[in-house]
Amino acid sequence: MRFLRYSLRRLVFLVPQLVAVSLIVFFLVRLLPGDPAYLIAGQFATKERVEEVRRDLGLDQPLPVQYVTYVGRVLRGDLGRSWRTSQSVVEDIRSRLPATLELILSAGLISVLLGIPIGVYTAVKRRGVGDKVLFVYGMLSGSIPDFWLGLILIFVFFSLLGWLPGPIGRLDPIAETPATVTGMYTIDALIDGNWDSFVSALQHLVLPVATLVLVYMTLIIKNTRSTVEEMLRSDFVEHARALGLPRSKQLRYALHNALPPVVTVIGIVFWFLLGGAVLVETVFAWGGLGQYGVEAVIYSDYAPLQAFVLLAALFTLVVFLLVDLAYFTIDPRIKT
Amino acid sequence: MSSSSEILGMASRRGSIKRGLRDFVLFARRRPSVMFGLVIVGVTLFLALFGPAVAPFDPEHALPGAGLQPPSFQHWMGTDVSGMDIFSRTISAPRIDLVIALVSSLIAFAVGVALGVISGYFASNRGVARFISEGIMRCADILQAFPVFIFALALVGFRGPGTGNVIAALAFLNIPYFLRVTRGAVFQVREQPFIEAARCAGNSELRIAFVHVMPNSAGPALANISPGIGFAILLTSALSFVGAGVPKPTPEWGSMISIGAPNMITGQWWTALFPGIFLGLTVLGYALCGDGLRDYIDPMNRR
Repeated sequence: MRFLRYSLRRLVFLVPQLVAVSLIVFFLVRLLPGDPAYLIAGQFATKERVEEVRRDLGLDQPLPVQYVTYVGRVLRGDLGRSWRTSQSVVEDIRSRLPATLELILSAGLISVLLGIPIGVYTAVKRRGVGDKVLFVYGMLSGSIPDFWLGLILIFVFFSLLGWLPGPIGRLDPIAETPATVTGMYTIDALIDGNWDSFVSALQHLVLPVATLVLVYMTLIIKNTRSTVEEMLRSDFVEHARALGLPRSKQLRYALHNALPPVVTVIGIVFWFLLGGAVLVETVFAWGGLGQYGVEAVIYSDYAPLQAFVLLAALFTLVVFLLVDLAYFTIDPRIKT
Repeated sequence: MSSSSEILGMASRRGSIKRGLRDFVLFARRRPSVMFGLVIVGVTLFLALFGPAVAPFDPEHALPGAGLQPPSFQHWMGTDVSGMDIFSRTISAPRIDLVIALVSSLIAFAVGVALGVISGYFASNRGVARFISEGIMRCADILQAFPVFIFALALVGFRGPGTGNVIAALAFLNIPYFLRVTRGAVFQVREQPFIEAARCAGNSELRIAFVHVMPNSAGPALANISPGIGFAILLTSALSFVGAGVPKPTPEWGSMISIGAPNMITGQWWTALFPGIFLGLTVLGYALCGDGLRDYIDPMNRR
């Protein structure tokens, strides 16, 4: 009941955020140099034709009306058409979203499963070889460009060693594409019971996911480590120590209290992963949303670009909503 | 507090700029990582000024019949697919990368500090001032709701690629960071007795905010410029890598990596390796320098 009330309150809070986001995305098109009607009609169009396009786009209406029309369209699930491929943007997104999700979710999951234990371990056991390795890794991972790291991994594991497939997308050309259920090839192949496709999809996933994990896991490690260290120094752990409780129990108290900040960082990492995925997808020809966005930028394809930005913002809002809800379930001190 | 006003005092008095710089170098000598950062910053500044002049080849000239040569005595880092000398291009790149990063960071610093002072100093007032203060913060919130790279990509995408648009996009995106650190500092400074004194002396609120509060709360933002530059370089090269930043033949690290990308797959490792190493080291250098500056300004960490 408490949770429900909190969730509702938090959802209401989402409304002004959505309005703000839609306003920004709406006004992005206004940044276009020149008149979009001219751009779309082409440079040899007659004046009447330009006027017609302007009317079609609704650009002859006052701004507030245009905004309401835009929001109305988005709410009905109409994100426009790409002028390059004439495809519906919603369809494009539906077919590409699973690829990006597969990438981000695997990278995020592995970062959490590896990063938190490493962070806790280094917080408990300070001053070792691991500590130095971690220091160097932390410095490097913050400065190494992810797209470059991806290329280096391709060179080493594909060109040099030949252990893993090259950057040709998500599946071997000869492997059978599994029937679409979730759209994530690894999961779909498992549902199909198609072992060969599963292995192929998994192999293609290794390098892009490794790139993202190497670059972004450090956030989780650093944060877990510093939070756990702080908790181990805190009064309540001191108290537990004074009572003579075993070390494992002290650690359990510390970990329990370190959880909320760590959850926040996990959210932030997913947020970063979305940005990183744009570059990594480009390197690995992944064919997901990120690559879609980049193509939209290069070909000045406005409807997909607008939709892409909108989606990125929505993703952000959802991630931080989930973080808040998780925070609430973990930490009973938060009031509704 | 004392050393923070020292640093800021240094900005206003010429002679003490020298002393402040000497102090910082002395401080850096006790910290190898900060020294390392300072050296990198120095090298990139040198290359930005003289890089194209000391380069053995014209960085934008394709040598006929010399495509994809591995590193040799003549071409230290090899040549790329069209026969341009990678070493010459790599050391010429700081000129464009650093200019974009510096200009955009300075704009973001100036605007961010000014907005931070306004939003911080007038946060507890009533009426219009408070409204403006809140408005600024909400705008910053919304700006930061978009993943940074995606927003940069979108801004450049709608304006079209080009150096000017990249600078504008990066400046715009970095404003909230400078704004937030300044606002935090303003909250402390405005409670100081000398602000009260300025008020008693009959200064207007706006004058207090900009003449007395601003110089004393710009320190953290100042320390933020250095990592900000590193971050801006990273974003610039990422934009150029996907083809939305600096146009192609111009020597720029991200665009060089993008030119070398297909060759990496076929095994010509030198095409993308070297620009990436320079790029990573530069970002690292500015970050380390920023860490040093932050600790230097904060007396708690300054040992």
